[in-house]
Amino acid sequence: MSAPRTSPLAHRFATLHPEWVDVQGMALAASLPGETPERTQTLGVCDLSGLARVGVKGPHAAEWLAARDVSAPLRPNSWRPIEGGGLVARLARTEFLVEDGFGGGMALRLAPELRPGSPGVYPVPRQDCALALTGTKVNELLVQTCNVDFSALDSAARDVTLTQMVGVSVTVLRADIGATPCYRLWCDGTSGVYLWETLTGIAAELGGGPIGFKSLHA
Amino acid sequence: MTARLPPVIGEWIDRSRPIEFTFEGRSQRGFAGDTPTSALWASGTHVLGRSFKYHRPRGVLSMANHDVNALMQYGARLNLRADVEALEPGMALTAVNTQGGVGADRLRVLNFLGGFLPVGFYYKAFHRPKALFPFWERVFRRIAGLGSLDFTAPHIRTPKRYDFCDILVVGAGPSGLKAALAAGRAGAKVVLVDENARIGGSLGYQRGGSGEAMDLLADLECELAALPNVSVRPATLAAGWYADHWIPLVDAKRMTKLRARAVVVAGGAYEQPAVFRNNDAPGVMLASAAQRLLYRYAVKPMDVALILTANADGYRAALDLLAHGVAIAAVVDLRPDGESTALTAQVKQVGIPVLKGHCVFEAESVGGHLVAATVCPLGANDRPETSSPQKFACDGLVMSVGWVPAAPLLYQAGAKMRYDTATHQFVPETLPEGVFACGRVNGVHARDARLEDGERAGSEAARALGFEVAPRTFAIAAEPSPPSHPWPIVEHPSARNFVDFDEDLQVKDFLDAIQEGFDNIELLKRYSTVGMGPSQGKHSNMNAIRILARARNQLPGEVGTTTARPFYHPVPLSHLAGRGFNPQRETPLHSRHDGLGAVWMQAGVWLRPEYYAAPGKRKSEIVREEVRAVRESVGVIDVGTLGKMELYGPDAGQFLERVYTARFANMKPGTTRYAVMLEEGGVVIDDGVVGRIAEQHFYFTTTTTGSGTVYRELQRLNAMWNLEVGIVNATGAFAAVNLGGPRSRAVLRKLTGLDLSNEAFPYLALREGEVAGVPSRLMRVGFVGELGYEIHVPADRAAHLWDAILEAGTDCGIRPFGVEAQRLLRLEKGHIIIGQDTDGLTQPDEAGLEWAVKMDKPFFVGKRSVEIVRKRGLRQKLVGFEVDPAGAMPAPRECHLVIRNGAIAGRVTSVAWSDTVGKHIGLAFVAPDMTTAGTPFFVRVDGGTMVQARVVPTPFHDPAGARQKAVE
Repeated sequence: MSAPRTSPLAHRFATLHPEWVDVQGMALAASLPGETPERTQTLGVCDLSGLARVGVKGPHAAEWLAARDVSAPLRPNSWRPIEGGGLVARLARTEFLVEDGFGGGMALRLAPELRPGSPGVYPVPRQDCALALTGTKVNELLVQTCNVDFSALDSAARDVTLTQMVGVSVTVLRADIGATPCYRLWCDGTSGVYLWETLTGIAAELGGGPIGFKSLHA
Repeated sequence: MTARLPPVIGEWIDRSRPIEFTFEGRSQRGFAGDTPTSALWASGTHVLGRSFKYHRPRGVLSMANHDVNALMQYGARLNLRADVEALEPGMALTAVNTQGGVGADRLRVLNFLGGFLPVGFYYKAFHRPKALFPFWERVFRRIAGLGSLDFTAPHIRTPKRYDFCDILVVGAGPSGLKAALAAGRAGAKVVLVDENARIGGSLGYQRGGSGEAMDLLADLECELAALPNVSVRPATLAAGWYADHWIPLVDAKRMTKLRARAVVVAGGAYEQPAVFRNNDAPGVMLASAAQRLLYRYAVKPMDVALILTANADGYRAALDLLAHGVAIAAVVDLRPDGESTALTAQVKQVGIPVLKGHCVFEAESVGGHLVAATVCPLGANDRPETSSPQKFACDGLVMSVGWVPAAPLLYQAGAKMRYDTATHQFVPETLPEGVFACGRVNGVHARDARLEDGERAGSEAARALGFEVAPRTFAIAAEPSPPSHPWPIVEHPSARNFVDFDEDLQVKDFLDAIQEGFDNIELLKRYSTVGMGPSQGKHSNMNAIRILARARNQLPGEVGTTTARPFYHPVPLSHLAGRGFNPQRETPLHSRHDGLGAVWMQAGVWLRPEYYAAPGKRKSEIVREEVRAVRESVGVIDVGTLGKMELYGPDAGQFLERVYTARFANMKPGTTRYAVMLEEGGVVIDDGVVGRIAEQHFYFTTTTTGSGTVYRELQRLNAMWNLEVGIVNATGAFAAVNLGGPRSRAVLRKLTGLDLSNEAFPYLALREGEVAGVPSRLMRVGFVGELGYEIHVPADRAAHLWDAILEAGTDCGIRPFGVEAQRLLRLEKGHIIIGQDTDGLTQPDEAGLEWAVKMDKPFFVGKRSVEIVRKRGLRQKLVGFEVDPAGAMPAPRECHLVIRNGAIAGRVTSVAWSDTVGKHIGLAFVAPDMTTAGTPFFVRVDGGTMVQARVVPTPFHDPAGARQKAVE
């Protein structure tokens, strides 16, 4: 496929004049003018929609993944890291999300194999707005936007939460970056701009704001 | 500052920070930490407001957030609670509810017209003669209402937040403090809230003239400070209780929705006024109000006080006042035997006369200032013996006759309450799981007993959550004497003995209401309006219950209480509004539409282009141009808001057969079919197009607003039917555009290698292939009545596709069109829109969808209802109509009524001017006998004008459908 991909947040980021970097055919903001490490440490909101991901559901989805050497979590609503900084999350008893990190290729490898026709294995098109929320004030952002007590999530337990945030259905998990709290969040791409504007608006009041994806690894 | 005392231990004011402000235009002074009321009282200003109905002068009552006759306005802030809100520098305060100021209120004349304003007078008068009703309405609107709204007031952003804890303790008095300590020591994450600016509750002001309570408070505060797992939040109101222990906590800046695993209610009790003539005069106040003035604000409430009591607290108040230079004229005890505790001895020891079995018959004031009170012995049936009155000169009358538990949270949580004759108050009988009560709200009033009860409740809450708590037996001492008097009410032949200060309700008002038959507490409340004012009955409901109970010869427990709904205390609307989250969805083409000048409209949660603005052109002109482009050449519209579902599995066809009214199991891969969804009652709830991609794979659309509910319903149905299918809501994952018009094929041919010939890709076919390098699903559909292709692509490649289509269509004059043009295009074809041309009762036959309902199927949702409706006969039918003569004005609009023989015979659902037809055309529901083509009727348009119309067959345009089936 030669057609370029566009992030749900592309036109919002364009106004911030970022340094664009191609991620799997999608231009993502790698860094923003004036972005400081303090923002990432305080409260950063990062667009990761470009990362490759696949969704699969159905009674035989777990076996299908296992046959392709994807070690999915046994417990629903939990996740595991995979090679290259990616993850596989079990969203329900029979539904999974596989997302590549910047250095991985599992989802890319799975995508061509995931075609309708395998009995009990159904592709779930994933066109998410994918975000990372980082920093010491991230929990303050979350308590202003969601009625789930994320502070009680045990990072080591690798729980996945499916809930509503400011009226939008979201999938959330905690994946700290070193000592910096970090949550990953996915929502339907068509709600992405609304969620993004709401989160960054509150983040600005808390001393944070948008960041490029390079900051996550700085 | 004539009444300001020398520094008092524990006072809340900061004497190093004086504050200048004005009240009713006069300069005043106070200190940081004062309230407007305390500062004014300190300066000798005792008339703080006017009562609601009779405009009588009113002063301090509670100093506890319930002084509703001392509501003030400060700029845009109206109904500021002057008894508790912090005084701010530069405040310019005025009393609400006056005409001409609090001192010279012109409406005080109403005080002399009481005889013409009995309870419920507004239910009985003013509605006749009818012509005068608007006049009276204006009069009462002008007189009634508190404060004046400033519509230019800036929007205040008050973000809400969520919070979580193990145990929420509501109330930081003695019992609440001990409960929080017990729970905190057990290891629970505790939140302790109190609506007062500082914690401590009655420990801070009910001191009985000694420093013991303050020492105890200091110790408790130290212990709390040592527990990092206990969050102490003063100035925070727990405003209600919702299921699963969700409690809204309201502070000055925001509302916090707190989820607790358990709740300890230690909210204390509201002290209750006695009822006697002129009990509302400034200077007559609750004992706790006088004590708060003393100890929180270092204000001497009066020089000479008469104490009216029926419990130990009144004696304690006498000692507090005496300790700060107030002369006590006497203690008047309603009880024949008075109080016989150590407190009594102390009072007698300092020479205060005690009159047992006496009552205050009436108070006397001059110029709004209390000057004397008349005391009489209480005789049989609690009636005053007026033959031997004693008159006491005093400028203050302090009432301490009883308490009402602050139990709204308990009621809301589902606690069962009973009336306890030992304490003469309602107490919890059974508490719901996870809810605990202690202290005065639990009927425990003595200080040591409250401390013990708090420890018990905190320990039990912690234990219930699994925290380790050492077993201990708690000994809660019984009350030595009832804290509340069962009848603190003295009737008076001249009335003015107020039960409800909010609404100026006197004893006789209740007796009259009961006499008129409103002898149920809920009816009495609504007829008399007791408890419906700003204090929500905190000082009136109990006495109203007592009056009703006595009138019915029952106990208060038999009368019951009114419903306590959240929020039980007024909360600023800005707090309730919060940030205002309004979820909004945008298609992936949003920025492209913006760039083309889209004028946006709301479609459910979506924003859609209504039309594309052009300089110097009006909307109607633009819409006609957009329609013309589609009819004559080619147009493109973003239809990505349609719901989109994937359905997989061996039972997919059978599943659709059950869900929709048409037949799908026999569809061949590569075809599409129109689908109508009914609910069990046979009502049309959604429609769309079902495409079969493979034997076990369907892809179908729903209406824009229906995708979420349809998806949930499909999941619910499959959970019942247990068919082997997988359902995926792909609404956001796919973008979609409709390329329509006679030249659409030519445009599309430039972008795809698919064979677009009519033979290879006929009308209603579905194909998969690449368009502009994007993997696409294409459906030949005809919603707009022209050759057209609905192209569905992954959302992240939609922008690329859109750009490519516009570029490829440049030669053909391609034009993006909006929802308004699409509505007209489909109307010309007679296609209905679910939700616009149907409503919540429309059956498929009524909407002309019989052809899509296959009754020979064994089952589909709603089939049985359709059978019943068909036997019963239709009530209405959707028909096409056109207006005669063409161009008649004013034109009908949607929802205008169809009139036949002067009676309503239906309504218009869609109508528009059509250049194509050259007339106003529309769809309307009409009576079943009006469906024959040519049937005339009228449409009553705005202003009542009747416009002639007649039924015509649909489609209005291209009835044979040749254009959408276009062959090359």
